Amino acid sequence: MKRQITHLAINRPRLILWGMLLITLALGSQIPRIVVDTDPENMLPHDQADRVRHEEIKQNFNLYDMLVVGIINEQHPNGVFNPTSLDNVKKLTDYILTIEGVVQQDLMSLSTVDNITQEGLGTLRFQWMMNESPTTQAQADDIQKAVKNLPLLDDTLVSDNGRALAIYVPITSKDQSYGISTSIQTYIDTQLSSSNDEYHITGLPVAEDTFGVEMFIQMAISAPLAALVIFILMWVFFRSPVLISAPMLVAMAAVLSTMGLLIGMGFTVHIMSSMIPIFLMPIAVVDSIHILSEFAERHKPGDDPKNTVAEVVEQLFTPMLYTSVTSTIGFASLAFTPIPPVQIFGLFVAFGIALAFLFTITFIPAYIVNLSPARIEALATRHHKPSSPSLLARGLERFAQMAIRRAGLIMLATAAVVVMSAYGIQRIQINDNPVRWFKESHPIRVADKVLNHHFAGTYSAFLVLNQESIDPKALFLQRATTILDNDNDPVQSREQLRALINSMNGEANFLQSLAQRVDEFLFENSPENTETWEALMSLSEQLAIESKTFQAPDNLKIIEKLQAHLMSTGYVGKTNGLPEVVKTVYRELKGGEQSHYALPTSSQAIAQTLLSYQSSHRPDDLWHFVTPDYQSTVIWLQLKSGDNLAMSQVLKSVDDYFIDNPLPEGISADWGGLTYINVIWQEAMVSGMLKSLMGAFVMVLIIMIILFRSLIFGLLAMVPLTITIGSIYGLIGWVGKEYDMPVAVLSALTLGLSVDFAIHFLERTRAIYRETGNWSATIAAMFGEPALAISRNAIVIAVGFLPLLAAPLIPYQTVGFFLASIMAVSCIATLLLLPAILHLIRRWVFRSGSDKHSDSEATV
Amino acid sequence: MSTPATLIAGYTRLKTAAAKSSLMAVALWLGSTAPAHGEDLTDVNSIIEKANHTAFYQGEDGRAEARMLIVDGQGRKQLRQFTIIRRDVEDNRDQQFLVVFSRPADVRDTTFLVQKHVGKDDDRWLYLPSLDLVKRIAGGDKRTSFVGSHFYYEDVSGRQLSEDLHELKATTDEHYIVRNKPKNPSSVEFSEYSVWIDKQTFMPVKTEYLDTNGKLYRKVEAVEIQSIDGFHTATKMRIDDFRSGGYTLNEMRSIKYNIGVPEEVFTERSLRTPPRQWLEEK
Repeated sequence: MKRQITHLAINRPRLILWGMLLITLALGSQIPRIVVDTDPENMLPHDQADRVRHEEIKQNFNLYDMLVVGIINEQHPNGVFNPTSLDNVKKLTDYILTIEGVVQQDLMSLSTVDNITQEGLGTLRFQWMMNESPTTQAQADDIQKAVKNLPLLDDTLVSDNGRALAIYVPITSKDQSYGISTSIQTYIDTQLSSSNDEYHITGLPVAEDTFGVEMFIQMAISAPLAALVIFILMWVFFRSPVLISAPMLVAMAAVLSTMGLLIGMGFTVHIMSSMIPIFLMPIAVVDSIHILSEFAERHKPGDDPKNTVAEVVEQLFTPMLYTSVTSTIGFASLAFTPIPPVQIFGLFVAFGIALAFLFTITFIPAYIVNLSPARIEALATRHHKPSSPSLLARGLERFAQMAIRRAGLIMLATAAVVVMSAYGIQRIQINDNPVRWFKESHPIRVADKVLNHHFAGTYSAFLVLNQESIDPKALFLQRATTILDNDNDPVQSREQLRALINSMNGEANFLQSLAQRVDEFLFENSPENTETWEALMSLSEQLAIESKTFQAPDNLKIIEKLQAHLMSTGYVGKTNGLPEVVKTVYRELKGGEQSHYALPTSSQAIAQTLLSYQSSHRPDDLWHFVTPDYQSTVIWLQLKSGDNLAMSQVLKSVDDYFIDNPLPEGISADWGGLTYINVIWQEAMVSGMLKSLMGAFVMVLIIMIILFRSLIFGLLAMVPLTITIGSIYGLIGWVGKEYDMPVAVLSALTLGLSVDFAIHFLERTRAIYRETGNWSATIAAMFGEPALAISRNAIVIAVGFLPLLAAPLIPYQTVGFFLASIMAVSCIATLLLLPAILHLIRRWVFRSGSDKHSDSEATV
Repeated sequence: MSTPATLIAGYTRLKTAAAKSSLMAVALWLGSTAPAHGEDLTDVNSIIEKANHTAFYQGEDGRAEARMLIVDGQGRKQLRQFTIIRRDVEDNRDQQFLVVFSRPADVRDTTFLVQKHVGKDDDRWLYLPSLDLVKRIAGGDKRTSFVGSHFYYEDVSGRQLSEDLHELKATTDEHYIVRNKPKNPSSVEFSEYSVWIDKQTFMPVKTEYLDTNGKLYRKVEAVEIQSIDGFHTATKMRIDDFRSGGYTLNEMRSIKYNIGVPEEVFTERSLRTPPRQWLEEK
């Protein structure tokens, strides 16, 4: 088959050229339909249990994603509590309320929240905290005092030191956050009176959305820049712009087609898939470099280029096929991770590699054949001009000598690297934090740091307590038995009750509605057995009160204790829950003294306290803490750090707490919030990555054994990549770089690329040995063109991705740095370690197997 | 805690309806309908004064049982049930209200007492039985929620006419449409509101509130009108909050007019000892 393909490519070059162009245009035309998705929540599938719960929590408590605008004044002696700053806050809030996409009724700012104050003898005043900007310092001081008196707002809306205050801007959809934050920034820059106020805009949605925008810029700059650097490097190696245009065209066609297919199939471009071009480009180029390298080496002036091309392709087809298959498997194995964006990334890179292979073996020969004879002559002449060997070639010769002479030392060094790496891997910290995807100097990072310094914490997580649902009808009928049994005519009463219940169809709050119905029944029918019906009415009312689990003082005390425990973990800056609401209102009702900051002692007293709370400008604020049926309540955690590590510690600590302080029967706890979701997908990724890496490793090993038809060569082929993966992750452990998403994905890249070098090296070694029958001749020949091609590839990829280090987004920098490291390590491992091992076991390796020349064994 | 006054909401609507019915009765008795009487009014002040009179100062007193269904944006429902008693101190001037909760059972006997004054802040009291607590609530901001519902104290108890600038926006076959803009915009959350006033009865049948972006975010509407004791009465009122998607439906039952309730009922003593005689349906 390979002959047919080569034949077709050589004889029908135009067909191939047009074919590739058409495929690229057809798929590439889908690219303008791109939809970007930067939501870390999408790291988990939509139906993932934790995510579903997280969504439920958001819905049950009317929670939205929020931007946080921080206003800080370090100059004024009273901090932000001066008339000018507060006037700016008021104006800014009024402006934000007019922005489309802002959830007006839930916006939290000094000018949109309520205040409750004592006024004279036993009089309460409910009013806006800051309906109008204060005009005097005294008024500003009053506002500061008032906020400090309200535990829900203190250290959430206003910092403890009075230097900073925040506006919490809930938004209807996360993808508007960039636009909204830009509008806010513009207003701040152009409309607010100059003062010493500093403004910061942050919050996970802004981070995500900003990341999305920068990701685009990144794709538009980094990928082409990488392409340019690769082009320049190839020019250094081959000195023929015409010739090296071919691999660039292959890479471009592969990237465009893959991205086009991905977008055309309706997938969103996530942070992972935005890196597809960067991953695909070097992989797409490497096979072409092998062909070009070999062609330039072999083609001599006067040869028919068709013959040379055919020979080269013939020789390289098998290793190229296998390297492509293994890279494809490496990436496709990512499909086994439970994270959709990573799955998509893996599968489409795999597709891209396969496509690049197809393009390489057809387009490159066709392209070469299609060149004018004059160009080819020029190329061959230039290449074969007698000249001193290049620096690279001389270096490789040294490598060969060292590999053979110091084989034992190399093995020892390798063992040392393995041990060091194993230790380094032990030290790896698994941690991620989407805010830290930005550079430290990025405004979002700065805002994050400043606001977390002033406030109790800007990262939120939710701990929800749920009452197991009970069927109120069944409960009522069960408890009503005794009442009905004591009736004079129980049969008739039972039937009347049943008819009454049946006449109710799906009414809200069954127990309370039933009480109303019984009430009406009593009034309309004036039955003789009034006592029975009054008892039934009381029962339904009593059960209605009992069903409000989180209105019961005992259960609120459980929440209080849990909150105290959360604070004791050291990771939580503040918690807000239903107890704070109840205690604050109760204190004010009782006269405002701090001694009354306590929970009332009956469910009824709490109900009446909350009824008072609801008589405000923001009655629905209550439902951010408890559901209207009082069967589910939420504790808001303000964490100082968005690190998954911090959240994990809180989770563990709460688990331990529940072991010692079990929740009452029927009540269960759940977690939600973005900080929590991040932990979940990270855990899924770590275990998923390990699984997919193991799976891919085994599959690649099997393919290697099949390819080489030898167990020993199969195992040998795995050596460089094993050392590379080991030392890269060891290095990560040593330098203290945390294991995050891009680092996790690198394992697949390493697997795919490192094995390529080994395949080429081993395949060519065996082929040359077959020709020469002599180990030292083989090794000498190996460090000619084959080793040159391998090192060129390594250099092209490594250097080609160094521009990523200049990226403003950390994940790209990580990828750039580790790509370079991976190439260096796997190239050295292949060129030093493999010959050293082969040398040490040469008698055994080259005697066994299908080697016909085993009798003419090599000696050095 | 402008709550007690908000109670008036349901009741004032009721009064409005009563006013409408009495006007209609008069019209029928005269054997003709209003339009035949002559020209549409063009002076916005006389329209709003008539509407205000019709809405808030008809009859001597009354009682009613209110059932309030509060529905949030997700369709989650809460019920409130209370009895409201009203007495006019002086026509077109001060009024008294007593509101006593009966359900949910955990807030039973929670009571609001309001002495509504024209020209100065109302006096309001709140009684919470389980806390055994009587609190005076300072008057002032009347645009707060009534016990968590979408009703505000003010949008039914009567906003002082002098607080807004009024403009007759349109006159249709059935309604005068009056646009109102606040003189002090910072005191309210709306930028303007329009009221549809029935041309024959001068009853406000619909009110729409616009925010500072000119967007409709709130609507108050009479959805059912019945004739009770010879008075037309809005027995169902609905308030929609388009921002949250929630609404409150208030239904009035067991309505009685001119029951002769004495002034003593509207004293602080009634807070701790609800006047059953006047509260219960007879």
